[in-house]
Formats: sequence, structure tokens, C-alpha cells
Amino acid sequence: MRILLVEDYLPLQKSLAKGLREADFAVDVTGDGQEGLWYAKSNEYDVIILDIMLPKLDGLSILKQLRAKNKNTHVLILTARDTVEDRVKGLDLGADDYLVKPFAFAELMARIRALMRRKYEHKSPEIKTGDLRIDTVAKKVWRGSEEITLTSREYMLLEYLARRAGEVVSRTDIWDHIYEFKSEASSNVVDVYVGYLRKKIEKKGKPAILQTVRGQGYILGT
Amino acid sequence: MWSLKSRLMYGMISGMAVLLIGFDLIVYHIISHELFSQFDASLKSAANLISASVEKDDEEDKFDFEFNIERMPEFAGGKKSAYYELWGNDGTVIKKSPSLGSEDIIRFASAKKSRSYKSFVMKNGRPVRAIAMNFLPHVEDNNSPATDTLRPLVLAVARDTGELLEQLRFLKYLLSIASIGILGLSYAVAEIVVKRGLAPLGAVAEQIDNISEDNLKSRIGSENLPDEIMPIQRKLNNLLERLQASFERERTFNANVAHELRTPLAGMRSIIDVALTRYRDAGEYRSALSESLSIVNNMEEMVSRLLMLARNESGQAALNKEQIKLAQMIDKCWGAFAGKANEAGIVFANSIDANLVCKSDAAGLSMIFSNLLNNASEYTNRSGRIEAAAQKTEHGIEIIFENTGNQLTQQQAQMVFDCFWQGDASRSSTGVHFGLGLPLVKQIVELLGGKIRAEVSNDMFSIHIYLPLG
Repeated sequence: MRILLVEDYLPLQKSLAKGLREADFAVDVTGDGQEGLWYAKSNEYDVIILDIMLPKLDGLSILKQLRAKNKNTHVLILTARDTVEDRVKGLDLGADDYLVKPFAFAELMARIRALMRRKYEHKSPEIKTGDLRIDTVAKKVWRGSEEITLTSREYMLLEYLARRAGEVVSRTDIWDHIYEFKSEASSNVVDVYVGYLRKKIEKKGKPAILQTVRGQGYILGT
Repeated sequence: MWSLKSRLMYGMISGMAVLLIGFDLIVYHIISHELFSQFDASLKSAANLISASVEKDDEEDKFDFEFNIERMPEFAGGKKSAYYELWGNDGTVIKKSPSLGSEDIIRFASAKKSRSYKSFVMKNGRPVRAIAMNFLPHVEDNNSPATDTLRPLVLAVARDTGELLEQLRFLKYLLSIASIGILGLSYAVAEIVVKRGLAPLGAVAEQIDNISEDNLKSRIGSENLPDEIMPIQRKLNNLLERLQASFERERTFNANVAHELRTPLAGMRSIIDVALTRYRDAGEYRSALSESLSIVNNMEEMVSRLLMLARNESGQAALNKEQIKLAQMIDKCWGAFAGKANEAGIVFANSIDANLVCKSDAAGLSMIFSNLLNNASEYTNRSGRIEAAAQKTEHGIEIIFENTGNQLTQQQAQMVFDCFWQGDASRSSTGVHFGLGLPLVKQIVELLGGKIRAEVSNDMFSIHIYLPLG
């Protein structure tokens, strides 16, 4: 899952980016409003975390421009402004959530997960495909009763595929949702990770659950 | 306290009542005077008639009384009785009307006046008014020389005043009723007039009532307002404008304080929260603690500046004035920033006369110079220039700090002394610059009895401080 973090206060930006990456999110970071707008327009993010008071272009203007361009990425406003008017204004401009600084990191994570569920239309924090079960809060995966240990990248790949279970997901889509902007592009890195993942979730003669659709991408489940 | 309406009503009705009472008294007096005049005239005419009927017999010391009572039957007695009584000079009753019976009219004739009038109550309880007159009786023989020896007789004629008094009582009653009616009517009219007259005040009060902290933008309308209330409306609107500006300033200040405190707090909490999400090695914890400490230091500095501002504002700052060599103090303050400025290739020039002295508070001046030089060293472009100059003016000393690399407009330069104002509206310097340095400088300059202004010209930004000499 890929997140854009637009926050200009450096200590907060650094710690949030670290925490989000450790929670298996691909995170693009900027502290500049104009750059934030460019990132948001140019990439497919699952969630954008947006500060309001930003240099060059404020967060509400970014939000307005995104919605004007029919960009429906889920936006969570993260700001020190706490008045009812500010919240109403932010939400009315098209924000999906509003969190006032200071906040608990756990709450931010919970809200991000809620936005993810809303985006992929999963009400439950648990995703099930066949006998594959993913706990998106604990970031744990089971096949039947057996827990499968995945690396961060493998988990990100599986969660994304599981959220779109039953759909053919292209390599570009996978790249866009699990890799950060600054990651070095490689033509077969997605294939390599799908290979690693497949080995772990289909081992010991378990039925194949992750299929390759030639020339199109991958499909999880049936 | 009475309402304006009550006061007006009370004033109008009291005034009206006093006027009506006065009017009633005058009307009553005029009518009563007129009625009594007419009554007296009729008494006088009756007395004249009766007196003309008295004739003295020349030969005998007797009086003939030729009054025909049938022509004036009221003297005979009855309901509307009239009375007369004739006395000789010695007080003996010569004649009296049958209506008197055994009673007598009080003798009240004055020796000085030929006629006098008096109201009194007869023994039978009837109120009467009487005329008493002294007169010389007619002598039967006009040629008789004895006429000059005649003694005047006294005649009193009285009439019952019951009817007259009744009429006057009725008049009193009529006037009272009319006055009460008029007063009642006046009250109703006054109520309407006062209500209408005060309606604009009521409308203003209602408008004021609707103004709250949340809608200070509202103003009191001048539509249909009478001229007398217009100055109040203008003053109130001016007050509202000032109030709104003050609230706006306070809101902005509070929002800025909130932002400046919340953002670093959020940073610190996030650092700690993230550090605690898993077990880490000592280096990572050390790094988290060190970042948190750095935020705490910045917050501490901001809080101490806010406290200093508050302390200065409440007048708690103590000033200790002494002779200060300006050039020397500025050089000393520059020492703290010189190293960093040198690295950026910034040149500092202090052209202030080494002997220029100003009597002021050393700690205050040092804080002013340090803040200004710190700002200048932060915002001057690489290889730029900072200059300090001073000159004596008519009222004191002008000290100028100037630096290259200005990026502010003239309009922005006017705001540099506002609390929390930063060149970038995003407050992107949160935790680094608080926008409290220049407000503090301004406050201290003013405490020292001086003034300060900022100016921009091309790429130069300058601060001018005007301090009194002593």
C-alpha cells in the first residue's frame, strides 16, 4: 500500500515516514506544497496524508486541485488547526478524514487502515481468499491454520493482491502501490517478489492460489 | 434604574397632570369669580331697590318702608329665600324681611366702605352671601333743611347661595372628571408616541443583542435611525470594528500559539510513538531521544520568549539605565553570529562612532541587538552584507541595521513586528523561527521609550530604531 506524506515540519515528517515504512507501507515524502501536488497528481496513492500549512501551496489548495481534477485518492488531513470551522472546511473540500496534531501514531495507523478498507471496500480488517487469511492490523498471514512469515515487501505485495482478489492486477499497478517514488525501477522486480511470495504461500503441496495471467499480470484467488 | 420609556412616560404624565391642575384652578377661579360677580350684582341691585324704598318721615322720627314684597317674593320666605334687614344708626332693627323670621342677618357693614360683601351660614344652616350698605334714607320733603342732619341707615341683603355653590361643586366635579379623562387619554397617546419614538433605540438594542463573539462582523444599520442616535450608532460601529480587530488578533495569536506548540508536540509524540512500536537497538533510542530533546529545546525557547513578551506587557520588566557605548555593544553582540556568517561569506560593517553613547538599559539593548543581528545573519544572502549605523537626531539616536538578500515586500515589512508572523504563511519555520524575535524587539524598544520601523528597498531590508538620549 502506498502513501504520500506531505508535511513540512521535519522531525514529524521523518518520524512518520519511518513509522509508516516500518508498518509495511511504501511512503513518498515531501515538505513542499507544490511538490506534494505534483506527487499526488503523478502517482496512484492509496492514501495521502496532508498538512494544511505548507510552503508554496497550502494543503487545502492541493486538496481542491486534486478534487477538481477528479483525483479520488483518499486524503487524511493532519494539522494543528483544531477549530470546528477548520475541520468542516477540510472535510467539505473533499478530505476523507481529519486528525489534529498532536496525535497518537497508533490512531493515525488505524485511520489509514480504515481508509484502505474504504478504498478496497473491505469492512473487516481481516481479508480472506480461499484458505488464505490476512490480518491487516497485526500484519500476519495464515494459510489454513499455518502462519506464514513474510518480509515487509512480500506482505505489501500480498495485501495489495488480496485487496484486489479475483481481479487481474498488472505489474504497473503492483509497482505503483508497493514501491516508493524514489525506488529504482526494474523490469522484473515485481516478478521476482511474486516468485518469493508464491514459494511461501503455496509450499508443501498447498493448492496454487496466485496465478500468472500471461501478458497481463497476476490474480489472487479464483 | 428606570427605563428610558418609564422616565419619558413619568415626565410627560407628571407634566400633563401639573398643567391640567393649573388649568382647572384657573378655569374654576374665573367661572367662580364671574358667578359671584353676577350674584353680587343681583344683591347690589336688590339692596339698591330696597334702600330706595326707605323714606324718612320729616316730621316724625320714623321711616316709611314702601317695598312691595310681592314684586320680590323671595324675601317673603320659601325655598330660594332672600333676606334683608335694616338697622338704624344706633343698631336698632328698623325692618327685616319676613323670610328672616326671628333670625337676624349678621351686621358686618364697614364704616369706611359704603358697601361690603360677605358669605356666611345662617342659623338655619343655609349658606348665604350678603351685601351690607350704609345709605342715607330718602326724605319725604326734599326741601327740608334737616337732610344734612340725617344719620345713615345700614341695610343688609342676603341671598341663598346653595344653588350657586352647587353649580360650583358641579363645575369642580366636571373639571376633575375631564382632567382625569384627558390624563388617561394623554397616557395612551404618550405610550404610543414614546413607543414609536423609542422604536429606533429598540431596533439598535436588538441589533446589539444579536451581536456575539462569533459574528463581530455585523454592524448596526443606520436605516431609519433618528439624527440623535446616529452618533451613538457610529461610535458603536467604531467600537465593534476595534473589537473585531482585537478578536481577530487574539484568534490569530491563539491559532499561532496553538500551531507553534502543537506541531513540535506532534513531532515529539510521533518520534516517541514510532520508537516504541518495536524493540530497537540503543542507537535508535538515542537518536529518538536526541531528536525529542532538540524539539524540547526549541519549545523551551519559544515558551520563554512568550513569557518574556507577557512579562514586558504586564510591566514587570525592571529597567536599569546606564551609559552604553553603542558601537562596542553591537560588536559584542555580533560575536555570537560572526562565525556562522563568515562561513556564508557575509560581511558585517559597524560604522557607528566609537564614542557615541546612549543612556539605556544594557540588558534590553543587548537583547534588541542580538535579535536583530541573529535575524540579519539568518536572512542575508550568501556573500551578502550587514551594516550597523547610527546618528544623533533632534530627539535622540537613530540606530540602523541593514542587510542584503531581502525577499519581503513593503507590505510584509510592516508585519514583521506581529507576533508569530513569518515571511512564509505556511509557518514552515516551525520549531526553528517562531516569529517572536521582532515582536520582542519592538516591545523592548518601546519599554526603553523608543520607536522602531522596518523598511525595504530593492534587496535591502533595514530596521530603524529611535531611542531617547537619556
